[in-house]
Amino acid sequence: MVVPIGAFIAVSAILFFIGVAGVLVRRNAVVILMCVELMLNATNLALVAFSRRAGLADERGSVFVIFVFVIAAAEVAVGLAIVLSAYRNRPTVDVDEVHALKG
Amino acid sequence: MTYDLIGAVLFALLTIGIVAAAAGVVLINRITAAALFMAFAFLCNAGMFVLLGAETIAMFQVLIYVGAITVLILYGVMFTPQSERAYGLFFQQQKWLAAILVAPIGVAVGMLSFSFRDTGRPLAGGGDLVALATSVFRDFAFPFEIASVLLLAAMIGAIVLVKRDED
Repeated sequence: MVVPIGAFIAVSAILFFIGVAGVLVRRNAVVILMCVELMLNATNLALVAFSRRAGLADERGSVFVIFVFVIAAAEVAVGLAIVLSAYRNRPTVDVDEVHALKG
Repeated sequence: MTYDLIGAVLFALLTIGIVAAAAGVVLINRITAAALFMAFAFLCNAGMFVLLGAETIAMFQVLIYVGAITVLILYGVMFTPQSERAYGLFFQQQKWLAAILVAPIGVAVGMLSFSFRDTGRPLAGGGDLVALATSVFRDFAFPFEIASVLLLAAMIGAIVLVKRDED
């Protein structure tokens, strides 16, 4: 029995749920970035599963995975830069304490 | 038949690895351990890609996620202080309400996940590199270039953001 596509999609959904929970629960900005990366990985898994198992005879889904890699690299670089510069202005990485934009 | 059995066993092991490592990222208070758990989750995800027959994507996953992004995150951990406060806020007070709200969504998503079926297309032999390269450099050549410009702009933006003001 080959592992069906539904199992891969279910793992992807579980990973995405855990990532969302981490973004909502954790306070540390770096950990929130990690959880965003987990969510992007979950979408990658779903894209590859659909591309390999349910698509046409090409790899279009996997091409979007490459774009997600690019976006993830850009996101984590800019996110860490924002965290570091916020830390420089106000020595905390706790997102509850960073409320300069709060009205 | 034995190959299918090995595939199923590998899938089960990788699933346990991904879920446990991701739960570790969310639940563990020590941030360096969380970063290493995140790297392990990425590695298990690369194994999933190999299981799906996308070896090239798995290689990129190891290079970019397990290599570059984990190192970047670890540098971020190194440059910021880690306080000893309670790590979470939300679950401590509204755990049951959250569980009640999430459970129906989880059931719906699970049913949707298992409603997809394989379309029976046989896996192409010899890996996915040729098909992937054909797609990237023929059908998606222009978006690929746009993505590279975006990455360059993001890196320059990151440098500008963390540059110290020299008066």
